[in-house]
Amino acid sequence: MPVYYKWTSETKQKRKHDYPSLEISNHPLKIEVYNVKLSANKSFLESLQKWSSPFEELDPLLRFEQLNVENDLGPDEKIENTINYPKVWNAKRTAILNKYTTGEKLTIVSSFLPGGEKISSFSALLRQVSNLNEKVKNRLEQLDDFDESSVRKTMGLSQQEFVTKIHMLDDEIKKAWDTEQRVKAFKIAIQCSKLLSDINVMQFYPSKFVLISDVLGNFGALVYDRLKKKSFGNVDIKFQDIDSYNVPESARETCQNWMFKMASIRELLPRLYMEMSLLKCYTFISKSEIKPAIERLTKMIRGIGNPLVAIYVRVYLCNVASSLFGKESECYFNDNLKEFLEEYQQIICPNMAKKFGTQLLTADQYLSLYIPAVDWLLYGTLNYTKCKDTLLEEMLEKCDTTENSELLLCCCVSGFDSTSIIKQSTAIMDIIRNQSDHMVLLSQILSSVGEHLCHAENYCQLPSEALSQCWWKIATNMKSTENFLQVLEPWLQFACNQLSSQHINMILRGTIRYMIKCGKPAEDYCSQIQSVIKRMLKSIPDVEELFLMDAFMPLVELAQTSNARTAMAKTVLTIFFERYNAVEIEDHIIISSLMRLCCILHDSINAVTVEDENKVCAELINKFIHAVSYYDDLEQQLNFYVECRSAFIKLDSVLIALVHAVNALAVRADESRGRWLQRACAAYVFVTVPSLQCPLARAQLYLLGGQAALLTGCIGQAEANLKTLVSLIPEIPQFVQEDGQNKPTHDRVVGLLSNFLSTLLILPDNMDSNSKAYILSGFIKTMERIHWKKTDPLYYTLLLRSLDLLCEMTQESYAYHIDGVLSNDELYGSEEEFIETIESHATNICQELLVVLKSLGDAKETKKQYNLALELFWRIVRRGKLKDSSMTSLATNLWALAQKIQDSNNKFAVSI
Amino acid sequence: MSASLTITLKRASKVYHEGETIAGVVVVDTTADLRHEGLTLSMEGSVNLQLSTKNTGIFDAFSNNIRPINLINTTIELAAAGKIPVGVTEIPFELPLTPRPHGPALLETYHGVFVNVLYTLKCGMKRSFLNKPLHTSCQFFVQYRPQERAPAKPVRCEITPATLRAAGGGSGARANMPKFQLYAELDSTVCALDAPLTGKIRVDECAAPIKSIELQLVRLETCGCAEGYSKDATEIQNIQVGEGDVCRGRDIPLHMVLPRLFTCPTTATPHFKIEFELNIAVVFEDDYLVTENFPILLLRSR
Repeated sequence: MPVYYKWTSETKQKRKHDYPSLEISNHPLKIEVYNVKLSANKSFLESLQKWSSPFEELDPLLRFEQLNVENDLGPDEKIENTINYPKVWNAKRTAILNKYTTGEKLTIVSSFLPGGEKISSFSALLRQVSNLNEKVKNRLEQLDDFDESSVRKTMGLSQQEFVTKIHMLDDEIKKAWDTEQRVKAFKIAIQCSKLLSDINVMQFYPSKFVLISDVLGNFGALVYDRLKKKSFGNVDIKFQDIDSYNVPESARETCQNWMFKMASIRELLPRLYMEMSLLKCYTFISKSEIKPAIERLTKMIRGIGNPLVAIYVRVYLCNVASSLFGKESECYFNDNLKEFLEEYQQIICPNMAKKFGTQLLTADQYLSLYIPAVDWLLYGTLNYTKCKDTLLEEMLEKCDTTENSELLLCCCVSGFDSTSIIKQSTAIMDIIRNQSDHMVLLSQILSSVGEHLCHAENYCQLPSEALSQCWWKIATNMKSTENFLQVLEPWLQFACNQLSSQHINMILRGTIRYMIKCGKPAEDYCSQIQSVIKRMLKSIPDVEELFLMDAFMPLVELAQTSNARTAMAKTVLTIFFERYNAVEIEDHIIISSLMRLCCILHDSINAVTVEDENKVCAELINKFIHAVSYYDDLEQQLNFYVECRSAFIKLDSVLIALVHAVNALAVRADESRGRWLQRACAAYVFVTVPSLQCPLARAQLYLLGGQAALLTGCIGQAEANLKTLVSLIPEIPQFVQEDGQNKPTHDRVVGLLSNFLSTLLILPDNMDSNSKAYILSGFIKTMERIHWKKTDPLYYTLLLRSLDLLCEMTQESYAYHIDGVLSNDELYGSEEEFIETIESHATNICQELLVVLKSLGDAKETKKQYNLALELFWRIVRRGKLKDSSMTSLATNLWALAQKIQDSNNKFAVSI
Repeated sequence: MSASLTITLKRASKVYHEGETIAGVVVVDTTADLRHEGLTLSMEGSVNLQLSTKNTGIFDAFSNNIRPINLINTTIELAAAGKIPVGVTEIPFELPLTPRPHGPALLETYHGVFVNVLYTLKCGMKRSFLNKPLHTSCQFFVQYRPQERAPAKPVRCEITPATLRAAGGGSGARANMPKFQLYAELDSTVCALDAPLTGKIRVDECAAPIKSIELQLVRLETCGCAEGYSKDATEIQNIQVGEGDVCRGRDIPLHMVLPRLFTCPTTATPHFKIEFELNIAVVFEDDYLVTENFPILLLRSR
């Protein structure tokens, strides 16, 4: 279609419309921002659920989280009188296995495991007669292998190997049981329980106990199930419902046999363990025998001289009892705890001290071996006791009167609930103070007292200050820095909750003094200091107050390595912004402290920092920038932004935030005091933007800067911004990297440039230049310069938009204005030369569009061609001067073209 | 063709009292028709005595097997000669457990070293000339009817270096004996066989570390008559009640379940005696042993 159509736009009369309007307080397009804090476990779970709901499969993270919540529900059940002891124990069990581990070599003695050194008398004899030739020896040993009772000792096992061996024994029991070798199963079980009398490698003992008690439990269940099957067939009958009268004689006889077999075990410990594991089976003989048996066993355990072995036997007894009787078994916990207390002195008898000494354990480590057991006994006892306060008083009195009572005290403090402990806190602190010189588990006790005190809600009646001073005296005398920091954490929270900021500051100062005095570099304790500070930030009622303390910042920067400082700064900032409620920060001290932290954070960024890390830092710094406010002192505010720009130059997103902030500042500025601030702001933007990496982001900011400048009447600056934007257009890439993916910029460019074109309408023309519509002409020229693919929708959309703008520019009065800015309609007053320029541009664009139409046709993009034809047709009909013959014929041609290529769906045409 | 005989008693525990009837079945399991010359069941009970070589002289050694004392011996015919069809055939039987009219009374079943009281049921099937006869046997246990519980006879004692009789000859006493004071108590020296033996022991003071505290049940068997007899003490079982250096001043319970078969009521007959004793042994770390002996009377009582 090589026909030349001259474009003439119709000048419309300004119509007056009265649109219905209503007053609103919010911008309708404003996005509502919810500040959801995901700190609570539940809400976190819910949000996870929300995200994973479209998937059928449960999110693995969610599953873990759910497990956690389920576990957390455990303590809640306590309130109802039915505690599921096995369940609670299970949680404890895992904790024990994780805590008590060893790198030492372990030894297992068993006759049912392959390998290992034989310790039967026979092979001992062989060794003596060493002149036997190898072959004979070998043969004799092979003979020996057939002898089941030969006991082998496997030494030098690592912990993992040991655990596997125990599992092997467990399997071996099952295998023997299934192949009707019940006596063999019984023997293996006895051997397992014998392993528990071995207290070499003490620090593994609690874990060993857990492993072996599982094996014994399994064995007990095997016996029980068989007897049940023998008595009732396959009927599923509960333990509670078994009545010994209904048990057939043969089953009762079998059970009796088991009991006789068990009772004739020579050694005490295996006999006790085996009786406990078979305790459930007494029900087949007579249910009433079980409880007296438990009481008897409780007393018989006194015969175990080794206190560590003894207390774990007690734990096993209580476990068995609780699995049988539930709530009713709590009295046995109580009994056993009392028995333990009677024998308390055994723990620290010189004999034991020698033993753990030779195993190179400290007294701390040694006593901590008892903690899970005592805790467990105390747990049941607590549920048994109605009046916890009296119990605690009794216990404390015991602690006070007995020597070396730290283990007991430690377990009391961790076992009782906060209310009781808080009531007795003064007494507890007295005890600790009296014994603090030689107390072993001091830090553990102190920190758990502290934890309890943290739960204190309002304890004005408590002499908080005296408590805190007492604690401080004890703590400063502690030798180990690690322990000191461990204790510091809860007590600092307590101070934050209860005491004045002056007091907290004193503690902080003392801490710094201690850290310096201890002579070790603070970096070694970095993570601990960090958690102390975290705790403090979280618990102090007013976060700002912290920054006002003179000892806080030095403490934060105590560790000097950059890694430590960065981590610290990040935690402090994160928690600060989590907790900070007010929108704006105005205090200069806080601002400068935060600035310092942000600088530390920023300085840590280098070429190898990962992108996510950058993002987190930038986010924190942005929060800071947004929060700082100097209210009316706008100059100060701008200075602050300038300072920020120089400080955070490495982070693009911070710069973007700064530009936005400055634009906002410019608009906020009062015009009565002159335009200099607005100009300064515009200049700030213009200077800042080029240092950004991404051209698209730059383009957006230029546009925004231009708009802001226009709004504040700084026309020169606006023009400069927009001009730069035009020159930037060719640089905008087709794709940008975002969240690790390449995303097309197409839509964004259309949006950006449409926005830009709308802005151009009100931009006054530069009178100094000799071309009319200076920026627009530049834009059109740029468009021509770029080598577009003609069929690119981006290209012809932009052409259409430009056409729209050109049409609008010919109007006598534009659709919108900015107060105080003279737009071209008033500037030129529809001057002919101006209109001509505009229309010639329009003609060119129209021409170009026709070319596009043709190439679309060539490329067989009928649908696109059809749409474009109709779009153009619509514009001619709406905007063009139809009186003009060339316009009319163009419109007719386009309509004809559209009709020709239209497909069945001609909704769009109809809508026009 | 194979056939097997088994005796199954009605009572799973196989424990019977005098005057009761032993009821059960003889099970014949055969893969083909079985022709036989008669099936008999006999009940035998006897006391086997043996003299230990230690106490008898070299001349008596050849005759250290004294003739067993017969307590009961009855035989009945379960089936006359005939044919037993293929498959499992159960032949029920009932035998009264009564002693011989003028013989000794029935004794409790007891397995010892020198004295054994055994009761067996034996079933035999005579078969034709060419086939081997089939035999099977089954033990059963006799117990006295429980008597009224005897009044408890508690006994207590203190063990200190001073109370020790230097056992094991003159060299047994140690020159520097560690200082110790033990207190032991048995709830009763007259014990029912079905109930555990109970008591307590307390270590009030002990200078040397203790390795183990043990409870030893010992039988005392006497065989023979006026002209020569042997008396032997042997261990039945040894039960540990304390392991390691136990806490001082605490009552440690003694608890021993009396084993079946290896114990019976204390018995005295003209030909033999079965008595029991209990030893409490404290073993020190250096294997030095201190024991205290208590004769006990076992009874079959409620």
